[in-house]
Amino acid sequence: MSVQHPAPIPAQAGIGLRAHHFREILDSPPPVAWMETHPENYFGEGGAPLRILERIRTQYPLSFHGVGLSLGSTDPMDRAHLHKLKALFDRFEPAFVSEHLSWSSVGSRFFNDLLPLPYTKESLDHVCARIDEVQTILKRPMLIENITRYLTWQDSPIPESSFMAETVKRTGCGILLDLNNVYVNAVNFGLDPLEFLHALPGQAVQEIHLAGFDRFGRLLIDTHGQPVYPEVWGLYEWAIRHFGPRPTLIEWDTNLPPLSVLVEQAAQADVILGGCHVAAL
Amino acid sequence: MSRLCDLQQAFAEAIVEGKHTAVTAAMAADGSALRSMALYRRLIRNNFVQVLRITYPVLHRLVGGGFFSVLAHGYIKHYPSTSGDLFPYGRHLPAWLQHIEAPPLLGELARLEWACHEMYQAADSSPLSHDQLQAMVSADPSLVTIRFHQTARFLSFPVPVHRVWQALQPDASPDEVIDLPLPEEETGIIVTRREGQVRVTPLNWLDYRLLEALSQGATVASIERLAREAESGFDFTRLMTTLLNLQVMAGISMKEGL
Repeated sequence: MSVQHPAPIPAQAGIGLRAHHFREILDSPPPVAWMETHPENYFGEGGAPLRILERIRTQYPLSFHGVGLSLGSTDPMDRAHLHKLKALFDRFEPAFVSEHLSWSSVGSRFFNDLLPLPYTKESLDHVCARIDEVQTILKRPMLIENITRYLTWQDSPIPESSFMAETVKRTGCGILLDLNNVYVNAVNFGLDPLEFLHALPGQAVQEIHLAGFDRFGRLLIDTHGQPVYPEVWGLYEWAIRHFGPRPTLIEWDTNLPPLSVLVEQAAQADVILGGCHVAAL
Repeated sequence: MSRLCDLQQAFAEAIVEGKHTAVTAAMAADGSALRSMALYRRLIRNNFVQVLRITYPVLHRLVGGGFFSVLAHGYIKHYPSTSGDLFPYGRHLPAWLQHIEAPPLLGELARLEWACHEMYQAADSSPLSHDQLQAMVSADPSLVTIRFHQTARFLSFPVPVHRVWQALQPDASPDEVIDLPLPEEETGIIVTRREGQVRVTPLNWLDYRLLEALSQGATVASIERLAREAESGFDFTRLMTTLLNLQVMAGISMKEGL
């Protein structure tokens, strides 16, 4: 089955689609506006995952959030991976496709983690060229997401927000703004999260991620294994007032709770989306 | 070589080989560099362990989390990921367990689990149509070969490893007791997928050999002849019924007549 047209994602809350919840979602579709999933989980040629995704796609708009493209790597682009993405996107016509502003492989070795780039002119040129390549092959614009980092490169003179803004300007891509990542980085490195948000091009922010973190001593780790923290909800309220309502995902990947918990978190985001007025764009 | 490439290679060197000099020189001099790299090393390793745990749930249950992590760490060190897609990551684990001379049961169990993992996302196949079945029945069996679904995999083992696999399924009875070591007993298993669910079906050894030969292109008549040579009075209709019940036939082909 092929879905012909992408269903637009409204400025409401959605949840991450995980295999653990497949049965429950099929039996009793939850009251959320949309769903997001990792395309790499559907790279197989057949079987239950693809069939279930087809059923879910008939009921919810979809967003595909990639984790394996290694956008910032200096290795050649993995064209086979890219073409698998394209086949999947052509089949399911997601409203958004996104990847991370990070790298995860070098010398053909993959770490399968989201590793931080130094924000230099070289990195900017490199990432923009890669995004151009991806968007040309996919024949659609993509969103790039800000990541958490646990180190600081010495030579990284461009602020992350300016790096993202310039990437948007050069490539026409959009921004997937992960507020949990903004908060985690702000706490771990003593930064002002609002300064970061102020510097982003508001029109380019097309989706927001909310998630939970874990504490390891004084360090916060972006585990996606907890409810959204009050501080991140506060940042979210500010962001919605500043940018306007945006499609918002409750992202939960580890220590998965019952589906009802994700739905409750999504409802909480919907309350904020419904109650905030646009202050500025 | 670009500076970005140098930096990424230095990061990899630190993660893989523990050589931190180059990467820490590129990091802010605030005293946190080694701690940061230790954190990344742990996050990356834990992620791969988790992938292996998901791919090999029965092996994980059998040996327990602690020993599984030890096995996984060894594997991760020797088998780097080569793709942004983690589905194929654990494919060498059965060979790795054999290489390190782990108890043979672990390697055999891993081989069975890897087949289950592959079958879960193998290409879909249509069931054999009524017309195809009719054609098979009425055709000259010396010319008929059978194509099997891509969701069918034949595996042979020196021990009945499926008993351990079944006993450690989440829905297995907690009262089921398996005596180890398993008896030495040639065992044929077919791993299939039906309605999205992967199934592990043990076959008697002769049935296994005959069906495997059929899956490899032997004609129906040659299989029948082999069966009767191996066992006088072999009930060939029963074998064909077993094959039908497995629902693994994708189609039939007719060899050119002589």
